[in-house]
Amino acid sequence: MRLTPRKAVTAFLAVCTLSLTASLFSGCKKAETRKEGEILIGFSSRDLSAEYTAKLSEAIVDYAKTKPGVKLVMVDAQSDVQKQFSQVENFIAQKVDAIILNPCELEASTPAVDRIKAAGIPLVLVNQVTKSAGDSYIGSNDFDAGRIAVEAIAKKLNGQGGVLMLHGIMGTSAQLQREAGAREVFAKYPGLRLVDHQTASWDRAKAMALTENWIQAHKGKFSAIFAHNDEMAMGALLALERAGMKKDVYVIGIDAIAQALTAVKEGRLDATVFQDAVGQGKGSVDAALLLARKQPCPKETMIPFQLISRENLSQFLK
Amino acid sequence: MLRALELRKDFGGLTVLHPTSVEFRPGEVHALMGENGAGKSTLMKVLAGLYRPDGGHVEWRGNKVAFGSPHDALVAGIAMIHQELMPIPDLTVAENITLGHEPCVSLGRIDRAAQLRLADKLLLELEADIAPDRLMRTLTVAQTQVVEIAKALGRQADVILMDEPTAALSDHEVAALFRAIARLKARGVAVVYTTHKMEEVFKLADRVSVLRDGRLVGSAPAAELSPAKLITMMVGRDLSDVYPARPKPSADILLEVDGLTREPAYREISFRIHRGEVVALAGLMGAGRTEIASAIYGLQPAASGQIRLRGQPISVRSPRDALAAGIGMVTEDRKGLGLIPALGVGQNITLTALREFCYGPMLNHTAEVAAQQAQMAGFSIKASSPAQPIGQLSGGNQQKALLSRCLLTGPELIILDEPTRGIDIGAKAEIYALIQRLAHAGKAILLISSELPEVLALAHRIVVLRRGSVAATLDATQTDQETVLRHAMPL
Amino acid sequence: MLALDRNLLHRFGLLLVILGVGLALSVATDTFLSVANLTNVARQISINGILAVGVTFVLLTAGVDLSLGSVVALSGVACATFAHPGEHPVIIPIAVGLLTGAACGLVNGALVTRGGVAPFIVTLGMMTIARGLALIVSGGRPVANMSNELTAFADDLFGVPIPVLCFAAVAFAAWFFLRNFRLGRHIYAVGGNENAARAAGVPVERVKLFAYALCGLLTGLAGVVLAARITTGQPNAGQAYELDAIAAVVIGGTSLAGGVGTITGTLLGVLLIGVINNGLDLMGVSSYYQAVIKGVIIVGAVWLDRRQSRS
Repeated sequence: MRLTPRKAVTAFLAVCTLSLTASLFSGCKKAETRKEGEILIGFSSRDLSAEYTAKLSEAIVDYAKTKPGVKLVMVDAQSDVQKQFSQVENFIAQKVDAIILNPCELEASTPAVDRIKAAGIPLVLVNQVTKSAGDSYIGSNDFDAGRIAVEAIAKKLNGQGGVLMLHGIMGTSAQLQREAGAREVFAKYPGLRLVDHQTASWDRAKAMALTENWIQAHKGKFSAIFAHNDEMAMGALLALERAGMKKDVYVIGIDAIAQALTAVKEGRLDATVFQDAVGQGKGSVDAALLLARKQPCPKETMIPFQLISRENLSQFLK
Repeated sequence: MLRALELRKDFGGLTVLHPTSVEFRPGEVHALMGENGAGKSTLMKVLAGLYRPDGGHVEWRGNKVAFGSPHDALVAGIAMIHQELMPIPDLTVAENITLGHEPCVSLGRIDRAAQLRLADKLLLELEADIAPDRLMRTLTVAQTQVVEIAKALGRQADVILMDEPTAALSDHEVAALFRAIARLKARGVAVVYTTHKMEEVFKLADRVSVLRDGRLVGSAPAAELSPAKLITMMVGRDLSDVYPARPKPSADILLEVDGLTREPAYREISFRIHRGEVVALAGLMGAGRTEIASAIYGLQPAASGQIRLRGQPISVRSPRDALAAGIGMVTEDRKGLGLIPALGVGQNITLTALREFCYGPMLNHTAEVAAQQAQMAGFSIKASSPAQPIGQLSGGNQQKALLSRCLLTGPELIILDEPTRGIDIGAKAEIYALIQRLAHAGKAILLISSELPEVLALAHRIVVLRRGSVAATLDATQTDQETVLRHAMPL
Repeated sequence: MLALDRNLLHRFGLLLVILGVGLALSVATDTFLSVANLTNVARQISINGILAVGVTFVLLTAGVDLSLGSVVALSGVACATFAHPGEHPVIIPIAVGLLTGAACGLVNGALVTRGGVAPFIVTLGMMTIARGLALIVSGGRPVANMSNELTAFADDLFGVPIPVLCFAAVAFAAWFFLRNFRLGRHIYAVGGNENAARAAGVPVERVKLFAYALCGLLTGLAGVVLAARITTGQPNAGQAYELDAIAAVVIGGTSLAGGVGTITGTLLGVLLIGVINNGLDLMGVSSYYQAVIKGVIIVGAVWLDRRQSRS
């Protein structure tokens, strides 16, 4: 078919109109089917394309389904602060009973939180704080994750040896906290040296290239690698395996994504730090329900991180 | 008042202007003549502050001056109109004319009304019918040229340098320009001017300086020169017969155009061309000449009408169709529709006929380079090698390369749109001879030219267009300029 | 193509910059100039290199392709989806990856030539569409569990990493093609002056369609190589890859206005970016400074190079 500009424009407009109508209809339907006494919770997820966030969001949705008389609507902000802000405004307009917010950012998402509070709707923040506090925060302390990981390294190396650290995207709260936690342990063990540290932006390919370069630059001077997440740990692992050096280097990541667990099981990756998505998910739905029913709810619930190695792996593999 | 004293200019070790001294006086029209590459443009650009001299200096009102930029020269009162037009396409005519000296009200805000008035006044002085609020990009080449001239007039310059101002103008536009130049002259402005058109020089210039190979051959009052003497000075040899004799066309009809119409450009255009015949399309700018040629070559197909080649109707929707049918064209707009500036001369020549130098989809470099060299020798195209980018060559050599590109495909009908525009007399003579050789070889030629003497001397028949319609078909050997113009002028 | 002498000068200038950076790194570190590290550099530039060669074709036609990174991700995910052990022979996932890329390129090309939409807009649209499709196909999660046959695509063959061999083959083929095929000449003509090329009988639309489709195909190849290298199809992979690829091509002397440029230049551009990335890591330069230094060297290299080719 020859696509003339006019045809293309018509097609484009048609698609726009269709999707607009569709979304209008589905919006109406939701409002209509809201039953008396049912509790409606709005949930805005930071980014469903990020593996941990996807896991957390799934846990929230699944857990809400087990609660009778509760309806949960999930939207995806795709890491876009502005988009999340309008999603929040939509929730307010729908007069939801509670909002679970998984904020995009520490600073930039603060106005969205303030807006919800001004509207008087109970707010649960999950996995990321903002400058303004919500009614309840469910999270895991990234500081602990960094601490746990480097403690594991220190234990493995008996407090002596060189370590390389792969940062997440510089300036994100997870990166800052995980680094701070790690640095505290380094201060505690004078024999544990940080040979080099560099960002690989949470990215597996970048971590792999960086580790390849480090193998050249620091050969024999390091015996452990700490990556701020499992993606990067997997990249470092591939680079070490390719260079035939894995047996000499202890590699640990954070998040316990499925591939990392498999790698631990196969004896390739040494350990990962488990961020409990299911725990966080359950915690946030429970908190939202308490707040919606005007019952007392703790200001902050910390779901602890756990170290996963070959020894305790079976508990985490279902 | 403006003098060049022993000016010299080098480019990459090559001296393009040997020490030259010329004087330009107020109220005098001074023509600089010479073949392309003779150093006329270089001399002008040094005077206008575009180039810095490598020797000698410029004297202005009795003082030695060194202009660092065209702007310095402009402030001093020396304006230049370039051969390569430099309009800003998305500004209006008025904005282009007043560019850099916009009339302002307070706080640097442009006074739009005054801007339009000023532009209108200048255009009126040139008798040009161009609305000052039109966008520059909507103008034809000729109109753009007129705007450039208006722009220089607006500077109130004491010296105006014009590099081939009439190359793209039709005859009545040229006449208007000449009247404007006469007015400038009366005001005491010194006009320096280059052209390839012999007739103009004797009509317009008070003094003529001739350059050849970067050297001043001579400088004399126009009254003391004759065309023959001038040509001898320019080329260094006698060009006894610039226009060769016309061969006799055959009775065999090659092209028939029947009722070709595309409103509003042209309508009901019908004519035929025999093998061995040169037919010229004549008319003023905007009469539809280029548009009709473009329709036959498929650049801009007609809305209705029929084109028959060798008696067979053909459908030409694109230049590819035309080429396949045996129609070739050298376009008027060399820069826009002709050259691929960054490619070598040789590759420009073989571009259309590239298939001839291929094994399947692959190039046969040996055959291609051989053809390139043969063509460059055959058309006496001067370049350092076939690989020299064509953008670096002179206009005449570029034009010969494009002709060579067209002919390499072996077309039977050849459309030449302004084939001699902006090229020197030597190259023109070569192209004239080529046209007659092609006619002699049984090709049919459709010629478009704004130079009537050229049309009268080369064509067998002239189809005169007026506002998109055929006004008359004349036998070129039985007519004269006045008759052609009478038919071409709007009633 | 440019005149030969100008071309040589051009390459010479960039080569000097690369040698200068290489020399500085050899002095600053004791590891840069080792076989193992240079192999590393080659391995790391191969993906950007394949992309840069592909986008050279598009830039030569005076177009642009901003969808490279997203199409890398989509092709990688598509490839990985068909690469689970024991499901299909290894040729299937590779073909799926390549065809996915080629299809994206074809769509880009068709919209540019037939639809008459500016390449910037078309490929910007493809950038987000391909990223979205990658997320849809993968369900937002990395596609893991790839067969060893496919991940072997990132291993060594006679001591040379296969990605490097791929890159070398692609670059040679592209160089040969542009030099020796009629279509290659047509690409330069279209980029040099599209209207003049059309008037000279060059099938402009077909030429452009080919350039975009070829660029897409090579992007698909880069996606397959990346998936093999990181042993997963990552929907988030390839962020901003187009920028590195286009930067490499432009450093190599290809004009963004089209019609001028060579594959040799592109190779040098890719090499310069690769050497800088590797060198900064070797020297342990902090992340913050790396970004600044990289930008300064890239702009400086182009500036030096253009200065030299002008004189």
